[in-house]
Amino acid sequence: MSFLGLIFKNPFRNKARAALAIIGIGIGIATIVALGGMTTGLTQSLDETLHQGGADFTILSSEDDAQGTPYGTKNLNDTWLDKIRSMDGVKKVEAIYLVTLPIDDDLGMVIGLEPNNTFDTGSLDTEIIEGGFLASDHQAVIGKLISEESNLTVGDKIKLADEEFEVVGISESGDPSYNSAVMAPISDLQDIMDQKGQISMIYVYAENNASVDTITKKINDSYGEELTTVTSVSDLKQMAEMLNMLDVFKWGISLLAIVIGGIGIINTMIMSVYERTREIGVLRAVGWRKSRILTMILGESLVLTMSSAFIGTVIIVAILEILSWLGYLSVFSPIFTWDVIAQGFAVAIGVGLIGGIYPAYRASKLPPIEALRYE
Amino acid sequence: MSVIIKIQNLIKTYENGNIKALNGIDLEIEEGEFVSIIGQSGSGKSTLLNMIGFLDVPDSGTIEVAGIDLKETKHLDEFRSKKIGFIFQLHNLIPNLTVQENVEIPIYETSLNSKARSERALYLLSLVGLKDKVNMKPTKLSGGERQRVAIARALANNPSIILADEPTGSLDSKTSKEVLDLILELHEKENVTIVLVTHDTNVANLANRCIEVLDGKIISS
Repeated sequence: MSFLGLIFKNPFRNKARAALAIIGIGIGIATIVALGGMTTGLTQSLDETLHQGGADFTILSSEDDAQGTPYGTKNLNDTWLDKIRSMDGVKKVEAIYLVTLPIDDDLGMVIGLEPNNTFDTGSLDTEIIEGGFLASDHQAVIGKLISEESNLTVGDKIKLADEEFEVVGISESGDPSYNSAVMAPISDLQDIMDQKGQISMIYVYAENNASVDTITKKINDSYGEELTTVTSVSDLKQMAEMLNMLDVFKWGISLLAIVIGGIGIINTMIMSVYERTREIGVLRAVGWRKSRILTMILGESLVLTMSSAFIGTVIIVAILEILSWLGYLSVFSPIFTWDVIAQGFAVAIGVGLIGGIYPAYRASKLPPIEALRYE
Repeated sequence: MSVIIKIQNLIKTYENGNIKALNGIDLEIEEGEFVSIIGQSGSGKSTLLNMIGFLDVPDSGTIEVAGIDLKETKHLDEFRSKKIGFIFQLHNLIPNLTVQENVEIPIYETSLNSKARSERALYLLSLVGLKDKVNMKPTKLSGGERQRVAIARALANNPSIILADEPTGSLDSKTSKEVLDLILELHEKENVTIVLVTHDTNVANLANRCIEVLDGKIISS
């Protein structure tokens, strides 16, 4: 057996203790991976919303209003549509009106769009799987999950607030939040909300040969006090703050996991060294160097924390993917990038090293004669 | 034959000098000799053995083993790995490792690769008559078999000296005889120097020379 094999074998001598240590640290790592995945998922989901239909950038009001759009900005007046449309380099503009309304009995997201527009649902990873797009007033395209849960199909009626809409299409998206949403004509939603002429944001499509930077600069120079151009989520002050907060929260949890996990692993490894005092004395007597003892104990600590990271990551990814697939996570649908998983493993390595170094040092410093006399 | 162990005026005290474990030991052992050290409990025989194995350091005096002065060398681990093989009373095998893996333990400090390490362990286990038990855990072996594994482990790095501390102390008389016969056989075959500590005169008399220790002093040699 190789020395590495010995390091892998030793931590599992006391199976119950190893299992408890792995569970404790695994929960911490799983929390980090879950929060990381959800932050990444949220960022991507918001980014996708901002670029719906393949828009080059989005225009929002520069005024904050917590009761306004989902991005915490005030609604815009639809007179801005003509002003932006007439600018050089702008190919097309689209008004989007996002509201939360009772859909039959449950509250849900309703996306207000202009009927008959050229909305490119494909670029949003959303496609009409049955029926067609909005053609006139009081029509609705419903998400796949709503269709399945409410047993609705093309030709049926659906209630938005108290008004009836005819289902003309069913959409499916890779983003679960859109599978639980409804698309309806913007003017109908403005009437329901009593916000005539109000929209949430404008999607802007640039001409092929036009520079997006030039257009956004012109808008910011001319209308900077009233409008904000957004090309990514980080441009949204409130969203950026929220994402930053999530990030701080995630690293706070990571620090907590390192501290708690570190204490746990110190305890586990000290117990292990304590029980193996005589054995360490034998290893020193047969000629093992202090550095080999230190490497062995530190390695065993890392084996425990890396096992925790592996098991914790696999379980949490499986749980969240299943919940997401079942539609329970909506906009918090996680995306597990290699970065997110690497963060979990980096914390595991940190905990393994921090937690293992003291017991390893203590074991390596044991005088062989005293260790051999240990009862 | 040349002198392999040379000890002069060795003194070791405990508890701030109140207990004199070794009180001026002078001793020379020649290469290939089988020496037994006999004495009552607390006479200092095990302390002397630990000094020869560079596991403990004296308060004063000199000790030279296989040409290496204990006070001069900083590489005690390397010395123990290359020159010394220990056999303990309670065998001290690692319970979660197999018999073969236990014998391989000292070889990790050499340059032998995994295959050579395994071959060496298998050879030694056949030498002590345990070739058919290489994959068993020590807990499944009898006391005598465990001590045989400990003997194989002591021979792992082809040491110049075997230090045995009451190797039959926890065995019944029949098993003790088997283990002692094996030690004698290995002494003859491998021509290794053996220093054996015991309180049993029958065991001590098997050696070429018997040294008696009392109150930290050699009273007969």
